[in-house]
Amino acid sequence: MNDTAISDALAEASAGRRPVTLRGGGVFSGMHRRVIDADEIDLRSRRAILEYEPRDLTIGVECGLTGAHMEQTLREHRQFLPLDAPDASQASVGGILAAAWSGPRRHRYGRPRDLLIGSSFALADGTLARAGGMVVKNVAGYDLSRLFVGSMGTLAVLLRANFKTLPLPDSARMFLAALPAGTRERAFAQIRNLRPEPAAAWWSTGFEREVDGEPGDDGRIAILLECENALLERATLDWRAALGRAGIPETRLLDAGAHASFTRLLDAPMRLPGVHALSYRSPSLPSHALALADSLAEVVDRFEMQRDLLVDIMNGDVTLRAVGDAASFTQMAGMLDDALHDRAPRARILAGGGEGHDRLDCFGLLPNALAQMRALKARFDPHGILNPGIAFFDGRHS
Amino acid sequence: MKIARDLAEPLIARGSGTGLCGGAAPLRAGIVLSFARMNQLLELDIENRRARVAPGLVNLQLSERIASTGYFYAPDPASQRASTIGGNIGTNAGGPHCLAYGTTVNHVLALEIVDDRGECFTTAVEDLGYDLTALLVGSEGTLGIVTSAWVRLLRIPSTTGVWLAAFPSIESASEAVSAIVGAGIVPTALEMMDATIVRAVESAYAAGYPADAAAVLLVESSGEPEEVASADAAIARIARAHGATKWQAATSADQREALWRGRKGAAGAVGRIAPNYYTQDVCVPRTRLPEMLAAVDDAARKHGIVVGNVFHAGDGNLHPLLLYDKRDARQVAAVIEIGNLVLARAVELGGTISGEHGVGIEKRNGMSMVYRTEDLAAMACVRDVFDPQALLNPEKIFPSGISCREMRT
Ligand SMILES: Cc1cc2nc3c(=O)[nH]c(=O)nc-3n(C[C@H](O)[C@H](O)[C@H](O)COP(=O)(O)OP(=O)(O)OC[C@H]3O[C@@H](n4cnc5c(N)ncnc54)[C@H](O)[C@@H]3O)c2cc1C
Ligand SMILES: Cc1cc2nc3c(=O)[nH]c(=O)nc-3n(C[C@H](O)[C@H](O)[C@H](O)COP(=O)(O)OP(=O)(O)OC[C@H]3O[C@@H](n4cnc5c(N)ncnc54)[C@H](O)[C@@H]3O)c2cc1C
Repeated sequence: MNDTAISDALAEASAGRRPVTLRGGGVFSGMHRRVIDADEIDLRSRRAILEYEPRDLTIGVECGLTGAHMEQTLREHRQFLPLDAPDASQASVGGILAAAWSGPRRHRYGRPRDLLIGSSFALADGTLARAGGMVVKNVAGYDLSRLFVGSMGTLAVLLRANFKTLPLPDSARMFLAALPAGTRERAFAQIRNLRPEPAAAWWSTGFEREVDGEPGDDGRIAILLECENALLERATLDWRAALGRAGIPETRLLDAGAHASFTRLLDAPMRLPGVHALSYRSPSLPSHALALADSLAEVVDRFEMQRDLLVDIMNGDVTLRAVGDAASFTQMAGMLDDALHDRAPRARILAGGGEGHDRLDCFGLLPNALAQMRALKARFDPHGILNPGIAFFDGRHS
Repeated sequence: MKIARDLAEPLIARGSGTGLCGGAAPLRAGIVLSFARMNQLLELDIENRRARVAPGLVNLQLSERIASTGYFYAPDPASQRASTIGGNIGTNAGGPHCLAYGTTVNHVLALEIVDDRGECFTTAVEDLGYDLTALLVGSEGTLGIVTSAWVRLLRIPSTTGVWLAAFPSIESASEAVSAIVGAGIVPTALEMMDATIVRAVESAYAAGYPADAAAVLLVESSGEPEEVASADAAIARIARAHGATKWQAATSADQREALWRGRKGAAGAVGRIAPNYYTQDVCVPRTRLPEMLAAVDDAARKHGIVVGNVFHAGDGNLHPLLLYDKRDARQVAAVIEIGNLVLARAVELGGTISGEHGVGIEKRNGMSMVYRTEDLAAMACVRDVFDPQALLNPEKIFPSGISCREMRT
């Protein structure tokens, strides 16, 4: 569908008060909404690169473009964008923005929304409009492009997104290590103070198959160094020395495999062994992340489920995968969900299979400015036709 | 706010009033709310690299007060000695170092807002739902009043290099800027000054700029020593290839400081050479910089007005300063005319009518040059949701005749 067709479809749906669902890469396979009878606008065929002048370090793309395609296009010109979405070969730019996804390199390069400089979109009544542009600084009027970030397709259909791109670092090197007993806290502190600053850093337990490296008594770490060639070897020496001081005698280095290892870590929570499993991600502060991870682990242990944990050391996100057995999982999922949200109110469900999951609280804590969001929703989509069922925006949160 | 509402009078938030588009100026009766004394650093959380500040805290004071911790607040408008973080949030202020670090919106983590009814709400980038934090940043006090903000702090880089390059013409300097960015080099700052500015700055501050240069680039790179060294080599090579007559490094903290003092004091220095000046602010794609500068020069020449250029070249963000005498009606008319020509040319080149100063009163009509009625109506709907009675800084941003009603329902 081109812009006009989307505009017509929306105008018609609006006039007929018929709901419309928006389909991106579908990485979420409907976890976040009730199944309802609605027309679908499939954005996946809209994957053109509309404007790319590498010398300006800006790019404008259609929102159905996948994260992987974006990465490949930019890489040819030695540039990149830290979209860092899981399942990048499926996840679309529109979905990544609509879900307000932000990855483990955001402390260093910003979130996708930080690099977003403009957009075009279709409103519920079919009006086509745009905001921002192709310049890296722009304060002419309200920042509507960023307003739509996190909108989960409930405010407008994103058609085009413009980004400021970044020069690609010369080299990437992944540092992997098993943590000897009693080193976890010290390792966290050292890693957060490393110079040059890590591009990403994780601590994990579990995820044996998804993540490289040997399990240690205290879990293991993966730290990504991205820098110029001239700095690579000196930084490696410094990092190893600093980690040594934290009690970590050995680190394994991946050069050729660094990118693949990074991708595996992004994808890990989306890989569910069968249908009796759930993945959550909770934001938190770096200073609280370890305690939160331990606290969530305790909850899952109480339910006698198997668990895997991933902590983003630089940004504080805690990702948890809980795997149960067929006999009891469906029945226990609701209690587990409540117990996890008690400890991590902002935890959101990333992935989950099986029955009954649409009854879970996949979004977690409602925002303080919910009234403002609902008022915007009511104004931009008065008949509530866009992605109904994402309940918290239209007042039907269970 | 509640008083304003009871009186049905507008309320205009004011930081330090350094805004350049009339944003904090009331157009009719109303209440001007000054944050000058709400200037506390409320919380400092170094472990999580953030601070909570009251809106009246002066930008530079934040970095100065936390310097001993090894952290700093990155957005640094040239007005940072005077302008407040609340005002910076109001305008989404940029600054020389925004080339590498981004503008204010990239550094605000959460906001506490007083709405048009005098009620409080909070937003955070991590919150579920619409990115109201980004919407409120740059909304020029028209959607709510910022009463406190959590901002990001960055670690002070281990090494910083500052260089000065002198060029025989403004064209060669702007082509060098396009080439540097085009080569995928993003220094921490890349600022340009033309001959008018260089001479004004030298006579005011003796910053060490070559007084005979037609244009000067001020370049800063920071990071690890190896990174700074390779930026030095690569940028010097590009500068020379574009005819740079001089490539000089600041070798001490004092010299770096002196070079920056010149840049940050440029506006003040210009005040010494002309009775009045008008600062224009447009942003164009970086490859279009040479064309944009040629257009500025052309327009100024045609109208017999002296122009000085001092700007954030690496971002394509121009600030032509048009020097004039406001007692001369002809000059005033010419300056307004040039200002409009500059806006029109920037839009033609794929740019925008304001890179960092905002719309305020000054550029309301310019909004229709970049946006269509539908685009503006969508913005007007947002305004209508937050402030239906138009009590918050009314008559700003929107050209007359734009309203939310123009959306089909
Ligand atoms: C609430 C939430 C939190 C998440 N948190 C994490 C996390 O912590 N860790 C993690 O690994 N992944 C997370 N993700 C997943 C990550 O964001 C996905 O990679 C991304 O959403 C997948 O994009 P997609 O194209 O598959 O989108 P889809 O799953 O197809 O769509 C996502 C949402 O965006 C809407 N949408 C899609 N395209 C458009 C468009 N063009 N315009 C408007 N709306 C559109 C859809 O209707 C849907 O509501 C999260 C996703 C959600 C929904
Ligand atoms: C010499 C000079 C150099 C400059 N250099 C730069 C530069 O490099 N980059 C740049 O971006 N700008 C620059 N400016 C412009 C100006 O300094 C910025 O726009 C600055 O952000 C304004 O801050 P202020 O505290 O003076 O705010 P004011 O001018 O008082 O207000 C600016 C706007 O913010 C709103 N506002 C103020 N406080 C609040 C609040 N608490 N809540 C909600 N809204 C509020 C006001 O209503 C108004 O619309 C420069 C100005 C001068 C004079």
